[in-house]
Amino acid sequence: MSRALTWGPLLAWALLAVLPALPFMSKFYLLLAFDALLFGAIAMSLDLLMGYTGLVSFGHAAFFGLGAYATAVLLERGIVSLWLCLPFAALVVGLYALVVSYFSTARRGIYFALLTLIFAEVVFTFFRYTQTFGGSDGIQGVPSPRLAPGFAIDTPMRNYYLVLVYLGLAYLVCRVLVTSHFGRVLVAIRENEDRARFLGYNVQRYKMAVCMISALLTGLGGALYPGRSAFATPDLMLWTVSGEFIIMVMIGGLGTLAGPVIGGAFFVVLQEKVSSYVDWYFIVIGLVLVFIVLFMPKGLLGIRDLLGGRRWRATA
Amino acid sequence: MARDGVVLEVDAVSKSFGALAALSKVSLAVRAGQIFSVIGPNGAGKSTLFNVVSGLHVPTAGRVRFRGQEITGLAPETINRLGVAKTFQITNIFPQISVFENVRVAAQSRAHESGRLSSLWRLPDVEAGAADLLRAFGLLPKRDELAENLSHGEQRYLEICLALATEPTLVLLDEPTAGMTPRETREATALIRQIASARGLTVLLIEHDMSVVMGISDRIAVLHFGEKIAEGAPEQVRNDPKVVEAYLGPPED
Repeated sequence: MSRALTWGPLLAWALLAVLPALPFMSKFYLLLAFDALLFGAIAMSLDLLMGYTGLVSFGHAAFFGLGAYATAVLLERGIVSLWLCLPFAALVVGLYALVVSYFSTARRGIYFALLTLIFAEVVFTFFRYTQTFGGSDGIQGVPSPRLAPGFAIDTPMRNYYLVLVYLGLAYLVCRVLVTSHFGRVLVAIRENEDRARFLGYNVQRYKMAVCMISALLTGLGGALYPGRSAFATPDLMLWTVSGEFIIMVMIGGLGTLAGPVIGGAFFVVLQEKVSSYVDWYFIVIGLVLVFIVLFMPKGLLGIRDLLGGRRWRATA
Repeated sequence: MARDGVVLEVDAVSKSFGALAALSKVSLAVRAGQIFSVIGPNGAGKSTLFNVVSGLHVPTAGRVRFRGQEITGLAPETINRLGVAKTFQITNIFPQISVFENVRVAAQSRAHESGRLSSLWRLPDVEAGAADLLRAFGLLPKRDELAENLSHGEQRYLEICLALATEPTLVLLDEPTAGMTPRETREATALIRQIASARGLTVLLIEHDMSVVMGISDRIAVLHFGEKIAEGAPEQVRNDPKVVEAYLGPPED
């Protein structure tokens, strides 16, 4: 398993595991940390598409939101076992992702991005205007999911550890993928998809597969959200949310796994901190993003180069 | 069924783009182990012929058979998996990954895992084969360079490595020496000849420079304005008046 795991990520994960023990970690900060890790993991999943395969999805919010709705719908009906919620969310997101990836991967570049966006907008509109799922209010006030009978994920601390496990497993999955046969082909597709075809690779099948995997990981992240917030609303599927996922990947560093995790966490924390001081926080975040794109094209992870770390490479 | 020893059979293939007839009723038969060259001035339809054989274009009429099996109109990846690999006239590699990774991704296309579920977690060990190929083309010392940083000549070699890594029976080389100096061209042709015979490959080669193919070809076909105007052994073709005319223009009175 040396291919799958190195000491760095393991150490980082261990540090995150002891984070709640720090004295200033109030409930508020635990929830902030939950969001940071959740969106970090989702950005990492998106980077399988963006950084490794060279496909920009503008519709990941729909996978996230569908996962959240799937859980919320079950919780609302009193089906609170996490072991039912998660497979159900995977099923719902998987079916939707199958359709999206089949049609979207038939087109390239901007058309792929637009198709993912259009599909996501359809889903958004459906949930926004269908009263069965609460319309614009969504599903509010759902009970906490249970890991086992009598063990509800009902505190910020428990939610935090749940998302930490999710992040760890998602990282392992992504790590194994990008270092496998499959991952090498993804990079080849990013670099030159026409040539990949002439080497015997059915490019669309690979693209569909990576879309599905990325969507499922994102959807499972979404499935954890109602446990933390007690709601699922159509706003989770807004196209601006998809845009934020893209920004997180860009901030962190395209074509890496750790980068987008850092980028997602950075984005969440920055947004929280700046918005608690000023209303126009998006201007500040925008400026930070412009600065990073202009001066740090490899994202925050590029700092490693400046510190004399090992040379960064998009392909591990 | 295929005639004895015929690896590739192009049977009366025509291809039109709108009103332009890029190929009209071109037929060829390439035998196992041959180096078969298709020459002709620029615009003669050579690349179109390759694109039809490799699956990029569906011919307007005619058939292509590979080892007796019809491959007309199959997808490029399917044709490649049957054992036909193609190089490109304009270098077509994976620029921002290492030279070695370029060849690895090509070589693993033939690994057991390829196209199977286990490819999601396994990394097939194709390192030895990839290294052998790089060594044969003198690229082994550059294995960790990004492909885009290689010189033009080296990129041309890498281009061939990619095709050969997929373990083809038939390799289609589209002007492999394009842009090379005369000296590089001589070295490259000798190398191609040597590697083709060492690996038992059948080669279909496109060139517009007649001098390149004379020395290495077993057989040559000449295309002009989409039609085959001559075919035969090199010396036969060289002295064919129609070929001379195609290259030099009609004789002056």
